[in-house]
Amino acid sequence: MISKDIIVEQLKEQIAGFKAEAKSKTIGFVTEVGDGIAKIAGLSDVMMSEMLEFQTKKGVIFGVALNLEEDSVGAVILGDFTEIKEGSEVKTTKRILEVPVGEAMIGRVVSPLGEALDGKGKIETSKSYPIEKIAPGVIARQSVSQPVQTGIKAIDAMIPIGRGQRELIIGDRQIGKTAIAIDTIINQRGQNMKCIYVAIGQKESKIAGIVAKLTECGAMEYTTIVLSGASDPASLLYIAPYAGTALAEYFLDKGEDVLIVYDDLSKHAVAYREISLLLRRPPGREAYPGDVFYLHSRLLERACKLNKEHGGGSITALPIIETQSGDVSAYVPTNVISITDGQIYLEPDLFYKGNRPAVNAGLSVSRVGSAAQIKAMKKVAGKMRLEAAQYRELAAFAQFSSDLDASTRAKLERGKRLTEIFKQDQYSPLLVANQVLIFYALINGFLDDIAVEKIREFEMGLYEYARTNGKEVLGEIASTGEYNEEIENKLRSLIGDYKSTVIGS
Amino acid sequence: MKITPKCYAQSLYESVDGKTAFEVAVISKKFVELIAKNNHLTKANAIIGEFIKIWNSEKRIVEATVVSAKEMDGETVNRLSDHIAKLSKAKKVALRTKIDKDILGGVVITYGDKMIDLSLKTQLVDLQDRMVKYN
Repeated sequence: MISKDIIVEQLKEQIAGFKAEAKSKTIGFVTEVGDGIAKIAGLSDVMMSEMLEFQTKKGVIFGVALNLEEDSVGAVILGDFTEIKEGSEVKTTKRILEVPVGEAMIGRVVSPLGEALDGKGKIETSKSYPIEKIAPGVIARQSVSQPVQTGIKAIDAMIPIGRGQRELIIGDRQIGKTAIAIDTIINQRGQNMKCIYVAIGQKESKIAGIVAKLTECGAMEYTTIVLSGASDPASLLYIAPYAGTALAEYFLDKGEDVLIVYDDLSKHAVAYREISLLLRRPPGREAYPGDVFYLHSRLLERACKLNKEHGGGSITALPIIETQSGDVSAYVPTNVISITDGQIYLEPDLFYKGNRPAVNAGLSVSRVGSAAQIKAMKKVAGKMRLEAAQYRELAAFAQFSSDLDASTRAKLERGKRLTEIFKQDQYSPLLVANQVLIFYALINGFLDDIAVEKIREFEMGLYEYARTNGKEVLGEIASTGEYNEEIENKLRSLIGDYKSTVIGS
Repeated sequence: MKITPKCYAQSLYESVDGKTAFEVAVISKKFVELIAKNNHLTKANAIIGEFIKIWNSEKRIVEATVVSAKEMDGETVNRLSDHIAKLSKAKKVALRTKIDKDILGGVVITYGDKMIDLSLKTQLVDLQDRMVKYN
């Protein structure tokens, strides 16, 4: 028990040790305010993107200096700007805009400024990272070599994503862009990956749904959601992806692998356009400011795979872009396509035909390619890609002719089964070993005698059967990633056994 | 080119600098005629504001405000004025004093866009912050 004398003694010590510091501070006054933008006179030694403190009746509100002009400073206000009046006092903080980072962020829903939004109490962190940082250079980097398992068959087979890659997900509204990202996050369970989902201008109801789903799947244990909702000011939407990346860099510096989803960058560009126009920067194409390319390139360049000497961590970025009625040649989509290492293109026609996820295999690419696949997958997926390409080519012109030769018909039949296999329900990512199994079955003709309508049933049955009878071989594929004759034989007999015992053919 | 209040103020300063009182009266009359002709009379207040700024910076005069809780005696004001002159490297300090009971004690000095906060209130807040943080 501590006696009160000790406490009093300590207090006295503290007070004696406390020295009032008389520091000269730079101040300014708001001359103009509105629409989340403030013009400030004074502040002679302000830095670019320095945090500013606006003194209001309801306490301090932060802002960021974005325009340094001859005798005024243009700043965006992060938060409620209705309290700031003309003549309000503004102080500099001598700090470039930074956000708190740390392990405590995992499993939480936070604002771009690191405040808790999920009602689970204050987040205690000891470190802060600047939101803008120069991306790692050539010396620190290494080429992408490890896979990110998305758990989506069509993507893992044909458009493999590697750790440290930037893969764009692009498509119209309501077509399953977010679904792909969320499935990927769910599938990172036990894969040694930290996930960050940055929601930019999303409906809060949608985010609530995502959080509930991730919690249900146990994915919140390694996921942070950075939320700037549709009702937040443009300034928060603008900093959200940078804040998310700052958190990702904290884990990167510890040598960990991070997956970050930006949902979506079209809204981010729109928010930046709003800020720029209000700051009276000249508009360019589609009224976006001149530096809208730099806006996204400096963000996505921070995705990287570091080499061993620099910790060996990685940041994989999955930016999302929403197109307007399939127009990929608009300004922002073309920009982001050229920045990223490939794109997953989702097509309305496929979606309404029932091919979900509606990945267009022809227009989707991954510039990293098979370097980011395990050996077993590489072996089977190479043939899959070929089959898919041949089917696309044939299907287009087979509609016009009725009698085809046997080999063409066989190819078409194979192709139909392939599209059937690529269909996958939402929230049901598939283990890589199971993917190898079903692809192996397809390319070796085990599915040719199954009716197309029965394929999915067959597939589900096969997984069920393999779970008990093929544990060993699937485990081997999953753990080593190897592929050899022995494994091939085991796969062959597993599928053969399944067909003869369960299907009975 | 658009003529800004700053341009007017700068040219006014250059034309009146070092002139006698009589000359200044003539120049200012002409100047008002000029802005009336250019239809810029509405900008008169802005021009006057800019002119004061230019005059002060050219003559190295600094405007300063000292806020205190109680009335200060003449000697204190003079010493503060000298100190501000030293800090801001100005020749002359145009000092204004204000009384604000809220700061409890001490002074708050503002000159240009600099502020030195020596008020008792701020010190108490700082002390509180520190004690909350460390205990």
